[in-house]
Amino acid sequence: MRVEYINPFVEAAYNILTEVLGGEIKRGELYLKSTSMPVMGVAALVGLAGDVEGRVIFDMSIDTALNICSRMNNEEMKVLDEMAKATITELANMITGQAVTKLHDLGFRFDLTPPALFTGEKMELSDHKVEALIVPMETGLGKVEVNVAIRDRM
Amino acid sequence: MISKQDFPAINERAPEGVRADGVAFKVLVVDDSMFVAKQIGQILTSEGYEVVATAGDGLDGVEKYKEMCPNVDLVTMDITMPKMDGITALEQIMAFDKNAKVVMISALGKEELVKKALLLGAKNYIVKPLDRKKVLERIASVLGK
Repeated sequence: MRVEYINPFVEAAYNILTEVLGGEIKRGELYLKSTSMPVMGVAALVGLAGDVEGRVIFDMSIDTALNICSRMNNEEMKVLDEMAKATITELANMITGQAVTKLHDLGFRFDLTPPALFTGEKMELSDHKVEALIVPMETGLGKVEVNVAIRDRM
Repeated sequence: MISKQDFPAINERAPEGVRADGVAFKVLVVDDSMFVAKQIGQILTSEGYEVVATAGDGLDGVEKYKEMCPNVDLVTMDITMPKMDGITALEQIMAFDKNAKVVMISALGKEELVKKALLLGAKNYIVKPLDRKKVLERIASVLGK
């Protein structure tokens, strides 16, 4: 996967998480996965199709998701209800929106799907014939992994 | 006992969402995200605005505007929504009421759509994530405050 695809997502995740959560966001070591991998509990997936195709997943534990929702809503949220799901979906929207602006500026043309939210335990993700780059972000409210699998359209 | 009257009222100011005659500006919020609708509602009501209705898609937004006109002073309009997008809803509201005050709410990456909306008659736009100060400034400027 070309690195220019991932940088905009990492930068956007860093910017938006810093803006909406406050505090220091630490970027962990980037790693590559080409086989199936576990998903932590709450995963917001945005699909891309155009000059490039693939998907981006924002993956976190349910506790982290609830911490983030509580911060973004300025109130304690204990269950992943409709409002909490809308909050995580909106977070994914904001990050992909900013990343796509950057990629469009670089000349890539593609559309995005609205975020789909997956929740549950012991989920596993398998991408067929596309490797995924994962960037862990330590937010202070828990870890969010930005999982990007994009390739040139064949 | 010290009462409020003992302090000079140097910090008092009228909330932005209320007219000189004490009546609140009425806002219709059109957004498919519960989270964003709630966020806009909280920001606006904290300054005295009245959110008279919310709509979860463009079609519902146009219907509610037509129903409530002229008792809506301002509409906040999301761009990407199911059933009818915010640009089409804006067009229909402007065709119904050329004096409608619509402010677009956009994620980054939709510059072309925002430009189109401004050409179609939207009065201003706000980019998410929503910043309280920015939201209030833009809305107050559209209402001529």
